[in-house]
Amino acid sequence: MIKNPFAYLFSCLFVLAAHGTMLINIFYNGKYDDIKDLIILAAAVLGLDISYYIIMLFFKQYTYTIDFMLLLILNMSVIFQSCFGGVSFSAKHYITCIAALTACRFGHMLTCNHNWIQQQKKYVWIGIGVLMIIILIFTGSRSMWINIGSFSIQPSEFMKPLLVLACATSITEQQKKHKVWKFDIVWENIILFGITAAVCLFQWWCRDLGSIPTFAAIYAAGFFLRICYPKAKFSNKTLIIAGSVVLVAAIVGIKIAPEYVKDRLFVDIWSDKDGNGYQQSQALIAIADGGWFGKGPGKGYLHNVFAHESDIVFSSISEEWGLLYAIMMTLVILLIAASPLINPPRSYYHGTMCTGICAAFTVQMALNIFGSCNMIPFTGVTIPFISMGGSSMVTSGFMAGMLVAAQSPVFRKPKKKKSKKPANSSARRRSAA
Amino acid sequence: MEDMNLLFCAVSAAALDICALVLIIASYRERSTGNKQWKKISADMELVEQGFTYHLGCDEILIGRHASADIRLPDISVSRYHAMLTVADGVWTITDIGSKSGVYVNGNLVKSKKLCENDVITLGNRKLTLRKTVNPKKERRKNK
Repeated sequence: MIKNPFAYLFSCLFVLAAHGTMLINIFYNGKYDDIKDLIILAAAVLGLDISYYIIMLFFKQYTYTIDFMLLLILNMSVIFQSCFGGVSFSAKHYITCIAALTACRFGHMLTCNHNWIQQQKKYVWIGIGVLMIIILIFTGSRSMWINIGSFSIQPSEFMKPLLVLACATSITEQQKKHKVWKFDIVWENIILFGITAAVCLFQWWCRDLGSIPTFAAIYAAGFFLRICYPKAKFSNKTLIIAGSVVLVAAIVGIKIAPEYVKDRLFVDIWSDKDGNGYQQSQALIAIADGGWFGKGPGKGYLHNVFAHESDIVFSSISEEWGLLYAIMMTLVILLIAASPLINPPRSYYHGTMCTGICAAFTVQMALNIFGSCNMIPFTGVTIPFISMGGSSMVTSGFMAGMLVAAQSPVFRKPKKKKSKKPANSSARRRSAA
Repeated sequence: MEDMNLLFCAVSAAALDICALVLIIASYRERSTGNKQWKKISADMELVEQGFTYHLGCDEILIGRHASADIRLPDISVSRYHAMLTVADGVWTITDIGSKSGVYVNGNLVKSKKLCENDVITLGNRKLTLRKTVNPKKERRKNK
């Protein structure tokens, strides 16, 4: 059943130990009114750990490392989110973490056979179109949220894994060239460019400009792998043209950006720390206040600032748990993204898929962390697996599942559907002859 | 109290660090399992040509004259992108991807063909043989 039982056992124990020490830290060092709150949190975290260890045994995989890393980071995020401003179990975040783990399993099952998922590319394109229509109809004018009771969904998040799947390609697909005038054209590449342009324009329309770099990064990863392979099409001229196009698009984008975006781009946070620079200035003060080892779980003040659990979550964690812990948390996420380097995918399709996912995770993290630290303009993008937000969590979980699929692939050709013929057709033909 | 804070933070950070390290080591252990599984999937085959051995390490292998081809055959009779080897269900298939001189399997011109062990593939002037991977250590033991 498990190929490496010792590796599995040790991974289980050390993930439990990492969560256990965090809980002990809260017990001795955290701020809580009632010990019951801490017991509930501990039971939920350790319970989810053990349940997932058991559930994983039912799935046949060659590698389990990403699952363990995912569980490690998700339960860490449950602990962080439950501790902001005092220990109180965050049930909403816990449910979204379970949803992310479930999405991970779905992501694995859907994409493990690259031959099959490649055949579904048309449905992926249709899916992106349908999501755009849903956003246009249900979110109201120029918004990105659908409110259902107390829940709100951000459908544009679900476009990320779909765009990753649209960008993934195989060498066989890249060899299907058509001669148009003097050029050898791969139609899929043209369609992909159109889809990405449509998605970026759509994000612009919905005023979700923070997500555009993530979509652009996914496309850039796909585009780069398409022009690099075969290398015959890869030249300095192509790179210079592509770079110039990006530069011109960025300059034009800044020129025609709405006023509130321009304010954020050129704000001096210290001279405007009660206005546009409020969140960033508070986030920086909190990081400095926390130092290397933090003030202690629940003892921060950043929970009073808007979006402390999503947009400036890195600063909230730095304040309460210390900068050292926050940096190591980002390293764990980078490890998830970099896992294909340890166990390289065996198919080009899965390789391009992993590159797209790594690009998405890395850009999202960079936008959030560097934005909180005032190194780049503040965008309000979430950190995958850490920030509060159901849509983001489910999407990140699904993409982690796609990484698992690349490491535990299935190489099977999908069965062709047999055409239905009448049972006695051959006999009839013979008798007619 | 300050010391306690520092101690517990350092311990939990160290635990996370060690956990990450263990997971990396576990991942390396699983790599060998992945390699074994790949041998099963690819039927543990390799391509051989006059003493040269080409390892078949992924499910799509591009053969051609160009430097970016996975198996590079620097011969003018071979097209830049000549043929593609793919594997599914443990069976390797060779497909002609628009070459000028064509692909021959055991002397027969083919567009796409499933390959068996010891099949001889002719691309231009070059002849390649598909065979089971030979482990040099095992060979030496057998010879002894």
